[in-house]
Amino acid sequence: MIFWVTLLTLRVHLRIDGTHRKWLVASLIILGVSTIIYVIYAASSPGGPSGGSATGLAFGVVGSAFMIFAGLLAGRKKVAVWRLGRAQTWMRGHLWLGTLSLPIIVFHAGFHLGGTLTAVLMILLIIVVASGIFGAALQHYMPSMMTVQIPMETVFEQIDHVRAQLVGEADAIVEKACGPLALENAALANVAGASNTPAALIPLRDFYAQQMRPFLLHKHLRDKPLGTREKALGIFERLRTLLPDTAHEPTRSLEAICEEERQLRRQTLMHHFLHGWLMLHVPLSLALLLLACIHAFMALRY
Amino acid sequence: MARADLTTKKLAQRIDLEYFKRPHPFRRLRFILSVSAPLAALLWLGWYALLRDNHVYSGGRVSTAHAVLSTQCDACHVKQAGQFSAKATDQGCESCHDGPIHHANQAFTPNCSSCHQEHQGRLRLAATRDVSCIQCHAHLHTTGGSTRFSERITSFDRDHPEFAAVRSPNSDPSTIKFNHAVHLKHNLRGPNGLVELDCQDCHRPAAANTKWKYGSGTADDPRSGDSLVSPPRVEFEKSLPPSTDYKRAYMSPIAYDKHCVACHTLQFDPRFQESAPHDTPEIVHAYLAKKFQDYIPSHTSELRIPAPVPERDLPQKPLPAAFVLLTQQQWVARRVAESEELLWRKTCAQCHALRFAQNSQLPIVAPTGITPRWFKHAEFNHDSHKLLTCTECHTRAKTSQETSDVLLPGIHNCQKCHRGGPTSAESRCFECHNYHDWEKAEKVKGSFTLSRLGRGD
Repeated sequence: MIFWVTLLTLRVHLRIDGTHRKWLVASLIILGVSTIIYVIYAASSPGGPSGGSATGLAFGVVGSAFMIFAGLLAGRKKVAVWRLGRAQTWMRGHLWLGTLSLPIIVFHAGFHLGGTLTAVLMILLIIVVASGIFGAALQHYMPSMMTVQIPMETVFEQIDHVRAQLVGEADAIVEKACGPLALENAALANVAGASNTPAALIPLRDFYAQQMRPFLLHKHLRDKPLGTREKALGIFERLRTLLPDTAHEPTRSLEAICEEERQLRRQTLMHHFLHGWLMLHVPLSLALLLLACIHAFMALRY
Repeated sequence: MARADLTTKKLAQRIDLEYFKRPHPFRRLRFILSVSAPLAALLWLGWYALLRDNHVYSGGRVSTAHAVLSTQCDACHVKQAGQFSAKATDQGCESCHDGPIHHANQAFTPNCSSCHQEHQGRLRLAATRDVSCIQCHAHLHTTGGSTRFSERITSFDRDHPEFAAVRSPNSDPSTIKFNHAVHLKHNLRGPNGLVELDCQDCHRPAAANTKWKYGSGTADDPRSGDSLVSPPRVEFEKSLPPSTDYKRAYMSPIAYDKHCVACHTLQFDPRFQESAPHDTPEIVHAYLAKKFQDYIPSHTSELRIPAPVPERDLPQKPLPAAFVLLTQQQWVARRVAESEELLWRKTCAQCHALRFAQNSQLPIVAPTGITPRWFKHAEFNHDSHKLLTCTECHTRAKTSQETSDVLLPGIHNCQKCHRGGPTSAESRCFECHNYHDWEKAEKVKGSFTLSRLGRGD
């Protein structure tokens, strides 16, 4: 039931396109046939369904094969240049067969958790499949959302590097307008006459030194007024009323830098969402495959 | 909000082209977790291996009966030298249990584990699924050809045949004359006035430990008893299935000294208050002779008895009173004959079927033929059904007048509750039937020690 609901959800919300259709049909056929076999087998088996029976073992082998295939996607990515089929096919197989492995393994287990190891395996499988479905949904939705919300998006690994450059660019803009900032001694910079800043531009220099630069430097300071677009707009509007017209252009540049900083922060956050589930999915998948191999060995023996 | 000074070239220059050579903390964390998770799994299993505890690999909790073997996998999973597999086999089961066959002519003998599925939790292993039985009984074939049992049974509430005992023309084979309707009447004459009998005044499980209302005994135990009622008790005991607590499950057989004696005394002569023994005619005869022999020496006046009056066709002058003086032996013989006449013709015959052989003074008492257990191939537990009134199932008990009436309820009565489903009582085969023929069970010599079970000091 859960599986069917999941499929329907995927069909409706993920707008499964034509490339998924064959996989969807094949998965439904496999699931349907497996369900029929299971019902007949469970009803006719004197001792009840068991993973150790011939049918139960067959379910176990098929389910494990699906899991292993799904797990091989990581290996396939490591050797992307090898001619091992299209990456898209591997990804479709990973999604559909990986999902299908759950009901097949449940049939293998006869809807029982079994002992300690098998219970752990079942819980791991449920977490892995659930996190995979969650991840697939995120991967489907978030990129388009990011395109809209983060036009200044950059390579994730470059974000810290770009942010450091933003600070440099902002420093340069302010120094060009107000003269040297003497940031190594912030106390002196605040004393009138300690720099060559014209009196009309002191509000700009003070704003940058006291509000904007700390905002750019400390990415974890989320509650700063500049962290919110609406508040930042007001701050910059107010600042411009204090400054001569000649300072409006550098002020707009600083405002744009703040906006870029906010977008990079949002990108970081969304990236953590978009890939954070892998922190669960990948390690648990590896543990699952390892324990499944041990389970298979011990089960065949006992 | 585009910056005028931010050209495409500037944007491109922002990118550090060497970034992929330094793994991002995000990727590094994922790698660390990817190594740690399988490693943790290995350490977890390694810990159990160090403890020499294999139960982590168990397919599930073992049944209650085998709970003591939970960590002793090799008690059942016997490793054969040179073989990879260590699966539990029938030999493993038979080292502790004898599993006698179902029928000598059964066409198929399943493995122990195909019916008694272990590692399914703390269940009763004997509580097998119906499929275990149906695999044969849905299309019953025997090695001997035809069978006297129904050839198709798939469930109790669907196609189980009527109980053999109540199928027409079966009747109660007992020779005891008993009228249930009379005994359940109001205002019966009891030992101390009028009484109204209840079913449980006579029918009680052996475990009942209250005094019999109209009997002489207290707690009843079919393993003890007088000589006459021993045969039914022995039969009863033999017929009991070994797997049940028979003292609570089954009604104790009716015994004269427990259930009948208070009202049905065996008075044989007004000279004596005590009753004749409820025993064989030979013992009763010896008892009577001894009683009168002991009596007469101290009552010699009774040896003088009126002489018999000669038959006369016409009335004449009254004869003078004449007396005959008997010897003690003659007197005893006369009294015994009179008492036996009373007993054999009335008192005993009221319940027992007596037959007189040609050359014998003593009658032959027909065996009572009380059926000790009606369901020969099934078990029944009265204790589990004690919430019901007796006549709810034994509906004919209050109106039955003939011993031959079989007062057992039919299958439809059982099916009112035992019909499957979550709101009904258990209706699977094992609830009433035993697969193994325990009469053929052999003793098993135990081979375990407490230390092997990990229970030693």
